[in-house]
Amino acid sequence: MREVAIAGMGFVKFGRYDGQKGRPYKEIYELGAEAITKALKYADMEWKDIQAAYGASMFGGLGVPNQCTSRLGMPGFPITTVEGACSSSQQAMRQAYFDIANGLYDVGLAFGTEKIPPGLIADTLSPVWMLRMGFNLPGTYALGTRAYMQASGATEEDMARVAVMERKNAIMNPNAFWYQGPEITVEEVLNSRVIASPIRFLMACVNADGAAAAIICSKDKLKSKARAVTIVGSAHATATYGYDNLGNSVREKMNPNCTELACKQVWEMSGYGPEDMDVIQLYEAMSPGFLWDAEDCGFCKPGEAGKLVREGYFEIGGKMPANTDGGLMGRGHPTGATGIAQIAELFFQLREEAGPRQVPGAKIAFNHCSGGGPNALCHVLKR
Amino acid sequence: MSTNGKKQIHCRDGLWSRPSSPDEKPQLMGSKCPNCGEVFFPVNPVCINCQNQTMNDIKLSRRGKIYSFTTMTLPPPQWYKGPVPFDLGFVELPEGVRVWTRLLGAEAGTFKIGQEVELDIDVMQVDAEGNEILGYCFVPVKK
Repeated sequence: MREVAIAGMGFVKFGRYDGQKGRPYKEIYELGAEAITKALKYADMEWKDIQAAYGASMFGGLGVPNQCTSRLGMPGFPITTVEGACSSSQQAMRQAYFDIANGLYDVGLAFGTEKIPPGLIADTLSPVWMLRMGFNLPGTYALGTRAYMQASGATEEDMARVAVMERKNAIMNPNAFWYQGPEITVEEVLNSRVIASPIRFLMACVNADGAAAAIICSKDKLKSKARAVTIVGSAHATATYGYDNLGNSVREKMNPNCTELACKQVWEMSGYGPEDMDVIQLYEAMSPGFLWDAEDCGFCKPGEAGKLVREGYFEIGGKMPANTDGGLMGRGHPTGATGIAQIAELFFQLREEAGPRQVPGAKIAFNHCSGGGPNALCHVLKR
Repeated sequence: MSTNGKKQIHCRDGLWSRPSSPDEKPQLMGSKCPNCGEVFFPVNPVCINCQNQTMNDIKLSRRGKIYSFTTMTLPPPQWYKGPVPFDLGFVELPEGVRVWTRLLGAEAGTFKIGQEVELDIDVMQVDAEGNEILGYCFVPVKK
């Protein structure tokens, strides 16, 4: 397989595009087209350079990727719609990566766009009888959180500290929902309204609209080789027996969870390990997820994450900077776009374009992204 | 049949057994694999662990221990018609399977990890024709 690089990234700032309270109104396909245009500009490439596209949207409905691209051109090349719940756009990127690595194409486009309805996210994974009985996504996350707290000793305060750290990072990220937003304190998080105990309002990521796009190409097709970022590991795993479709353990642990599986594969493929990483992205739709993700991905021992958060280990100035752009909590979570948004921050970090969020000398980066299914995707990038 | 002549409908057929005598209590219905011994809830036609193509019906123990719980303070969108706040949980049954469930029979927010609870069936809602929709839940064991 040949070397594959990320040529460009484009973003539409995560926010609300609902036209209410003085906010702009943008359709889901306008967001996607805007992100694609920006990615092409960054890559110094043109629409006609693209040979295949993979687009993602979770809630948009039929044919959203085509709606985005047909505003820019009608190229005739394959446009594949990818849906993998919250990891949709990263699955799209992985498809583009392998197509190019295997020589099918030289230049590809991967993107995700989303507009999330307000309120608790609708669950389309679960059967109606469970929904009738009250099953819902935040509730399930909360069940996993309490079980994790019981096993690890992590506290609500640890969960609050993650939220505080990620808000601080997002405030410095022009593409984040909370860019220039107010800081929050541990006290404010712990006093915020309970959604599903122990999850509180300020421990949950905000519903947001937005889009992100990546131009992926074989390394020799880069317009500029300066600070080239290549993908050196890509993995995708789903649950093995013992887990339900949201990743909850439904019997005593018999098998690794899908995050552990995907991580094992990406370390093998890339030849690196957690200790080699300079900057990372962990997946946390709610702030407690940061803690178990750090452990599942091998960045600390089981039960240790809370203590490391308290010590500032994952801060931008710490030993293992994580979610330097704010993560899902700080960026917001337009589900179809999040996967590529995570990769984008690592891309900017490796190219020394992260401004006030910059981790000095970052050369190797790791990403984990999860989605209902459950699924886990991991990538390792190298400069 | 409920007293007003309307039907009682299980929210999903086959989730729990229909007692054949007044002394018999309902039990959740699962599947047990004759090959590897794994147990599933709800029933499944093949073994998710070893892909054995025949499964045996099993009535699951009525009592278990709370593995985790949460109190919902916001109503889930669309389908749920019950009271808010309300509790949800995972209950670990002796057969080794963790069952997702509602937790009722005590004030929301008062359940504990490890607490012994037992199966109950209740009327969750009434449909447009007046039929009662039944669901399962777990309630504190009466000492």
